[in-house]
Amino acid sequence: MADKMCMVVSEGTFDKAMMPLIMGQTAAAMGTEVHVFYTFFGTKLVTKKVNPKLPGMMRLFTGMFRNRMQKVGIPGYQEFVKQCQEMGVNFYACTTTMGLMGVKEADLLPGVKILGAAAFLKLASESQTTLFIG
Amino acid sequence: MQKDVTLDTKGLMCPMPIVHLAKKVKEMKSGQVLELLSDDVGAKEDVPAWCSRTGNQLVGTETDGSILKFYIKVK
Repeated sequence: MADKMCMVVSEGTFDKAMMPLIMGQTAAAMGTEVHVFYTFFGTKLVTKKVNPKLPGMMRLFTGMFRNRMQKVGIPGYQEFVKQCQEMGVNFYACTTTMGLMGVKEADLLPGVKILGAAAFLKLASESQTTLFIG
Repeated sequence: MQKDVTLDTKGLMCPMPIVHLAKKVKEMKSGQVLELLSDDVGAKEDVPAWCSRTGNQLVGTETDGSILKFYIKVK
């Protein structure tokens, strides 16, 4: 059976958005089954209107950061999510946070599933690696 | 070093060389040798790690200035 890796993302800023994609895509390329669970402010990262910015005053430099990343082959955020999905990375939105933040199932990016904490913890308990990004 | 396919990832940085490597190896046949070119210093450790995790064999490495060359035999 393939190795499993889980990540929890609790923040919605550009840096926290990119890290799980970079880690997740790499793990998928190494033959690992990847599950990324978005909760609290992370939940907006898997909605259709997403356009993550760097935190605080740094937000003004998000475009410059994005351009630099694109120059070394790292795609823009939504395209990156799509590429990860094509490589088999699984994305989940936390049910409770969706309720708290008024996010509807129809607001989620295509292919994003809804998951509760117990189901995620089951996946995590079966994983060799679990990372918290927040 | 003898090779069947060359994959040039110069200019790309972690994790893109590994992502392109994984995709290319999927298209190749067992026993074929891929030459991977990279100028990402991270690749020095990343490529051997990828090979040992996926069971593809790293049969050689060369350095040409700042260019790293990896030779990977597809499992």
